[in-house]
Amino acid sequence: MTVASVLVVGGGPAGLAAAARLAESGVAVDLVELRPALGGAFHRRPIDGVAPWPVGREGAKRWARLTDDLRRPRIRIRLRTAFLGLDGSGAALLDDLAAGRVEALRPDAIVVATGAVERVRPRPGWELPGVSTAGGLQMAMKETGRIPEGRILLAGNGPLLVALAGQMIAADRPPVALVEAGDPIRHPIAGLGLLAHPRPLLEASGHVLRIFAGRLPWRRATTVERIEAVGTALAVTLRDRAGRAETIEVDRVALHDGLLSNDHGLPEVDDGAPGRPIVARAGDCREVLGVAAAEIDGHRAAEEVVARLAGAPGADAAAARRLAHERHAQQVLARVFAPARLPVPVERLPRETVLCRCEGRTVGDLVDLVDGADAPGGREIKLSGRFAMGLCQGRFCAHWVAEAAAGLRPDAPAPLSGDLTGRRWPARPVSVAAVVASALPPER
Amino acid sequence: MVSDVVAPPELRVAVVGAGIVGVSTAWFLRRAGADVRLVEARAPASAATGSADGAVSVASKRPGAMMNAALAGLRLYRELAEAGILDGLFTTRSTFLVAVGEAEAAVLDAQAERLASVGVEIERLSAARLRTIAPALSGDTAGAVEVRGEGHAIGYDITRRLIRTGGLKVDRDLVVRSLRRGSDGRVVGLDTDRGPIAADVVVVAAGGGSSALLGLDGVLRARRGQLLVTERGPGLSAGLPGAIMSARYLLAKANANGAEPVSSRGYGLVIDPLRTGQFLVGGTRENDADRAVADLEAIAHVLADAVALVPGLAGLRLLRTFAGLRTAVRDGLPLVGRIPGAGDLWVATGFEGDGICLGPLMGRAVADAILGRHGDLDLAPFDPARFVSGRIAA
Repeated sequence: MTVASVLVVGGGPAGLAAAARLAESGVAVDLVELRPALGGAFHRRPIDGVAPWPVGREGAKRWARLTDDLRRPRIRIRLRTAFLGLDGSGAALLDDLAAGRVEALRPDAIVVATGAVERVRPRPGWELPGVSTAGGLQMAMKETGRIPEGRILLAGNGPLLVALAGQMIAADRPPVALVEAGDPIRHPIAGLGLLAHPRPLLEASGHVLRIFAGRLPWRRATTVERIEAVGTALAVTLRDRAGRAETIEVDRVALHDGLLSNDHGLPEVDDGAPGRPIVARAGDCREVLGVAAAEIDGHRAAEEVVARLAGAPGADAAAARRLAHERHAQQVLARVFAPARLPVPVERLPRETVLCRCEGRTVGDLVDLVDGADAPGGREIKLSGRFAMGLCQGRFCAHWVAEAAAGLRPDAPAPLSGDLTGRRWPARPVSVAAVVASALPPER
Repeated sequence: MVSDVVAPPELRVAVVGAGIVGVSTAWFLRRAGADVRLVEARAPASAATGSADGAVSVASKRPGAMMNAALAGLRLYRELAEAGILDGLFTTRSTFLVAVGEAEAAVLDAQAERLASVGVEIERLSAARLRTIAPALSGDTAGAVEVRGEGHAIGYDITRRLIRTGGLKVDRDLVVRSLRRGSDGRVVGLDTDRGPIAADVVVVAAGGGSSALLGLDGVLRARRGQLLVTERGPGLSAGLPGAIMSARYLLAKANANGAEPVSSRGYGLVIDPLRTGQFLVGGTRENDADRAVADLEAIAHVLADAVALVPGLAGLRLLRTFAGLRTAVRDGLPLVGRIPGAGDLWVATGFEGDGICLGPLMGRAVADAILGRHGDLDLAPFDPARFVSGRIAA
């Protein structure tokens, strides 16, 4: 009897948990990770010579557990390897970045555990150099152990910004200010819900205490209206709940408006077609529930796959209960951080506001495109408007474009973000030379 | 350019299919004042039109009906661009037919003769001259023929522009179940998922979907093509003054000769430097394909050929792959004209790889024919009567 083979995409907590559980079940696992080290976002490993970022006692225990479980036979770990999607023949395509070669695998199943991608609301000036995502800044800090030079403003919405501010204060490099669209400390009743979740509550309290103790300007119920370049600096105009404007000058802006599942361009959960692998999703890439849930969900996805390989439906009631608990924590956080005012709909931003940063396509371009007797659908907006056509393949703009188009044409069916991104390989750009090399036997 | 014939008052026309052919037909009919319903099972340009390489080209054609049509198609694109209707969407540039090795050089020479014989402006380029004009090409090339005045148009852009400038409105996601017929067998409209549509005239331009509606069993077939787009390569674009077409494509076409390809998967090679600075590279010609999804084997094969001809491509990244199912006719010629014995029922499909080049032209020709005007283009070689005799399956 041949051993079933499963490809696990992503070396974060969900992928590692899935790989370990699959191997334990006797399945041969290929685990691919794009980066040079396992870890994912929360457990991002530093480059050589840099001390690991503190992840707390829970975090340290989790990482030890995840990596211990990996020491099983039948797990082949491949770093610096990107998953490009499924091709027309049903093969899973891997881009081996070190070898410079694309390879086709034919696993029986695939567990996609590619985590989350940051949601960043378009604003005038968000495409300027010096503007990044808060999560991107946090990853750079974890990898290099350093915080970039200059005055940094954190802005947007959600608990990640509070955590990042707390981490920067702890590292003695506080941001200039923290601008938050919600007003989390005004929601004590909603916040009570967090009592059911002592771990995140404790963690959040620590960051909030640091923010107050460090006297960090915390502009709650305030949004970034626009960013302008002034010489080498950035002038950021804020608008508070009373409508008052304030401009601060900084060197860098890190934006963040929450997280979305990172499943752009990846194969859909399988339709059971013959000759094509079973496809399951695990962790934030299935539902953004955070790092603790990712580990649970990795185990759940592994068990689902093992059951389905044996021809049984895979459902795990215990995992579902634990995930429901984590979902509750996320819902409470969402209520606590609910924006104080409704954000300006994307389609009503100034015409020159860039929507697609790769191709420089603006709100005005979209307004003109969807205007007229005939309202174009999602794929037409992509193709004729060149939205979501750039190197990021719509990762950052597709859902905003879809939302704006729906707002502009309430008379037509709302386009879906997935219509703009599509699910054709390659899920990310790949070297032509590496594709050509796929036809050659691998070098030994 | 635009027909001066005016449609009878309130002539109701239903066009099935919003690819470039259906949209062009609807555009010309609407211009003439007809009341046009444009019905599409998915979305405009969602099938072959949206996956085409966009060549408006005669370079690989043999003299005959298709060559004449392609020349007229090219002229119409120029006119529509000059009139502002396709302003900015139709790019003219040369096609360079490039030969590697003796066999290809011979086929290239024969093709140059043919093109010259029908008045196409060409220039034969020695290997040395080619290197000066197109320094991005590999040194292995034996020579080339520059075919002047060729063009490029992106199918979905043309379709979108025609929908807008024609004031057309597309009924999207509307599946046509069957044609409605009167007691005498004449077509009187469509039965759709969302109810009947009455029409005096029905035009079926639904690609592969036309078979079932018209009862054309065994006449149409799907030929898959796989293509890809790279990221921008400004340096490389500067070294490629036009589209590069491998003479091997001529060999493949000569072997297939319009009918069945010899093998189930044939490879041609066209490298088109796009206005965006990206490169469009294609492609395959495949029988027995049902899924419009590209596969690694084909894309790697096409890219290996492309890199052999333009080595600098190896330094770029592949951005997108796509595949489309071209609708081809058994005898290699499209189906354009009136279906005999069914009243005002018309068909325009089966252009295989020439839909972008011929779409506006055929749209105009069908509109003219419906309105009773004899256009410049002789549609006789494409007459569906060659497969349909008098009565069709209801």
